[in-house]
Amino acid sequence: MNLIAENLSYKLDEQFHLNEVSFNFKKGNIYTILGRTLSGKTTLLKTIAGLLTPDTGEMKFEDRDFLKVPVWERNIAMVYQQFINYPHLNVFENVAFPLKQRKIDNKKINVEVSKSLKSVGLEGYENRKIQELSGGQQQRVSLARSLVKNAKILLLDEPLVNLDYKLREQLREEFKNIFSQGLSKESIVVFSTTDPKEAMELNGEVIVLDEGKVLQVGLAKEIFENPKTLKVAEISNDPPMNILKANIGENKIKFEGIEIVLPEHLSIIKDKNFNLGIRASDIQLSDTGYDFEVELAEISGSETLLHLKRGNAKIITSIEEVMNFNIHDKVKINFNTKKVYAFNESGTLASSPFGGSYV
Amino acid sequence: MNFKHKYVFLFPGLFVLIGILIFPIIFVVRLSLSGWNSYNGLNFIGLENYVRLFTDDPRFWQSFLRLSFLSVTTVILQYVIGFALAHMVWKDIKFQRFFRVLFLIPMMTTPVIMTVIWRTFFHESLGPVNDILSNFGMSPKWLTDPVLAKFTVIIVEVWQWTPFMFLLLLAGLLSLPKEPFLAAAIDGASPVRKFIYVTFPLMAPISIGAIIIRLIEASKIMDTVYVLTSGGPGTSTETSSFYIFIKGLREFQMGYAASMSFTYLIIMIISLTVIAKVLTKVMLKD
Amino acid sequence: MGKLYKFLKYFFITFWAVFVVAPFLWALTTSFKDFNSVNGGATYIPWVDFEPKLEGWRVLIKSPAKGGVDIIEPYFNSLFVTCTASLISIVLGTLSAYALSRFTFKAGFVKNNDITFFFISQRIMPPIVLSIPFFLFLGAINLLDSLIGLIVVYIVLLMPIAVWIMVDFFNKVPREIDETALIDGCNPYQAFFKVVLPNSIPGLIVAGMFCIIFGWIDFFFAFILTFTEVQLLPVKIVALNSSITPWWSLSASALVSVAPLIIVAFIVERYLSKGNLSGAIK
Repeated sequence: MNLIAENLSYKLDEQFHLNEVSFNFKKGNIYTILGRTLSGKTTLLKTIAGLLTPDTGEMKFEDRDFLKVPVWERNIAMVYQQFINYPHLNVFENVAFPLKQRKIDNKKINVEVSKSLKSVGLEGYENRKIQELSGGQQQRVSLARSLVKNAKILLLDEPLVNLDYKLREQLREEFKNIFSQGLSKESIVVFSTTDPKEAMELNGEVIVLDEGKVLQVGLAKEIFENPKTLKVAEISNDPPMNILKANIGENKIKFEGIEIVLPEHLSIIKDKNFNLGIRASDIQLSDTGYDFEVELAEISGSETLLHLKRGNAKIITSIEEVMNFNIHDKVKINFNTKKVYAFNESGTLASSPFGGSYV
Repeated sequence: MNFKHKYVFLFPGLFVLIGILIFPIIFVVRLSLSGWNSYNGLNFIGLENYVRLFTDDPRFWQSFLRLSFLSVTTVILQYVIGFALAHMVWKDIKFQRFFRVLFLIPMMTTPVIMTVIWRTFFHESLGPVNDILSNFGMSPKWLTDPVLAKFTVIIVEVWQWTPFMFLLLLAGLLSLPKEPFLAAAIDGASPVRKFIYVTFPLMAPISIGAIIIRLIEASKIMDTVYVLTSGGPGTSTETSSFYIFIKGLREFQMGYAASMSFTYLIIMIISLTVIAKVLTKVMLKD
Repeated sequence: MGKLYKFLKYFFITFWAVFVVAPFLWALTTSFKDFNSVNGGATYIPWVDFEPKLEGWRVLIKSPAKGGVDIIEPYFNSLFVTCTASLISIVLGTLSAYALSRFTFKAGFVKNNDITFFFISQRIMPPIVLSIPFFLFLGAINLLDSLIGLIVVYIVLLMPIAVWIMVDFFNKVPREIDETALIDGCNPYQAFFKVVLPNSIPGLIVAGMFCIIFGWIDFFFAFILTFTEVQLLPVKIVALNSSITPWWSLSASALVSVAPLIIVAFIVERYLSKGNLSGAIK
């Protein structure tokens, strides 16, 4: 019962929203589509749902040509980012709708709807009108309606993006519980997001999408440890991974007048010029270090993101406390050389701290 | 979303409309190429009617000018008055509901029937208007003076259709977002400034829409003219529709009337489409 | 300044209110007059300026044979034709409007917006253009002076209104609701009837109101295409005008004819305040 797609392409106004996308989704698994806005995530989900027809490519599900199956016969469920519910029905009727459509008898409907509402924490809300609910509650109703169907494929398109920070964290936890308990082992869950942290938390297989193309497929951990290309490194880190042009000489990494001893895991690199990658969290302020100038200090939550400059090099470092800096302040920083990445000039991963390489 | 079902949704309405329209339109064209009148049947005389229309019928083109004058004037008046009324009953006014309903009423009445009443109203010797004005030594010839008759028509049209403008504009005002007005209040803008810089610009798309809608409807002025003045006195209030009506259904020169109809239709489609596009562009530029 | 503006405001509003009411009041007093009260010059207040009589109103009850004016039958004819044509226009128009709002059509260079424009531009059609061919055509198939003939013609008048209002309304209902219905197992027809339509009731009501208003007030087509068998209300009243019907019966008949529509004014104001009309104009 796999959902297999081959070379799906979809073009709109001269732009590829899907560019030869292929995948193999197995039942009982969660798949995360990670990509920035407009990378094709929604297009992909809508194609799986049947709301969009790809220009080329094939898709098979349970050995049927899925592309020939109309939306209403595909036995899927979808949760949108915009809290979509039927405005003219109350909570109970909303969740019962798909079951009524299948002509399931009323007694069974009552049981299933109650079960579903309970699993999303909305017991007792049956008679409320949709308009009376908060954003988070509305999204839970959407989720309940999707779960009640026991659909074979559950699609979620950035379902948490319109919720506030706290609610997002809370629902993310609940999702994980629901996915592991409530869903049958037969279902495929596809969850799209722009947030790398979310992808890591869901801990399923991640498909990195950019401009409609699949850049990398792998477990969340793998994507984190060994991003295949510069683009993947950018998409799968928040703030994006710092990339600096550097060269190797005399067993040292050199850039912008800085010389660092070549770490062991980079000794296998063959090219002299390469792209150096280092995460914001792997750069620390220190009393002795390399001089950088502050361009901007962003306070985000309980951390500070410092935008630094040295010559042509621009980097971001994240500090785990709130600190005040003025523009043009001078600071000293150190790089955790054990966590440094090397990408060759064409952008492919040459060496990672975790031993990965695609060269 | 594209399903085969889309045709089932679209086609019934579309085909019924085209079905009802297609034969008459083709027939009008065919008729316009014939000399159908009380004597001849459906013969074929080519473009003779059109030649006559364009070279030998100043009355048609004058009726057209009259139509333009009447419709543009009434629409402008309706817009100004309608906007003023809508703005005044928009908020903070006593008996708001009463005034709103009252101002809507004329539009709900049947124009012809009201015009019948207006005819008695403006009657030059027995009507109330001249009775009151006679106290000031005036006795305008509302329905028998060529110039004044035009204005009588305009007055009736303004009475009848300003409510429609009023309705569209009030609906528009009620749908405006509150934020720009809050900002203006914070900036201490006077009511006049508020109107010029906030209300009016925000209402621009709705104003354009309302004007276009009313202009399309006003270009068909016929009922009022028929009842109030019968196109008179002389031809001073004769609109294109009326002239075609006389030629076709009074004098039964159907062929010629058909050529007039067709020409009139094409002119109206082109001019109204152009006006609509120009107005929309002007609005978008701002 | 504020005071001056306020004064002007109320003055203008009162002036216009008087203007609105004037013809009604005039018709009301006139309906109670008789020959002398009319022909001596304008008279206004009953019992003060003239002696009120009920002749104008009695005429409505008398049968035509005795010189009465029958407006009951024209009334129902108008009602029937207007409602039937409105119903058909709204049903067909709403279906087409939904298609134009949701789906993409392309036939050569003709696209959605062109088709919508085609529908709406029918309002530009001057009645005279259609009335001559319809006069001949309906005559040929024996549908002149018939209710059905009129209904068919009125569809051309009213469907554009329905399409115009409903396309705009549907554009405001989020597509995602349709999509969710499809995902929940509805085919496109079911999605429309079970989900989109129940959420479009306000739009349908607005479309209904405008269709009925514009259908009811038509004079021209009814005038050209009917004679004796079928008479619609506006035609009837105007016919009174040209015959030797005296002012008082004329006024009474006219008042009775327009009175019911005033109820519609109340309904429209209700919807106005609820904010349902704003979209259609754009």
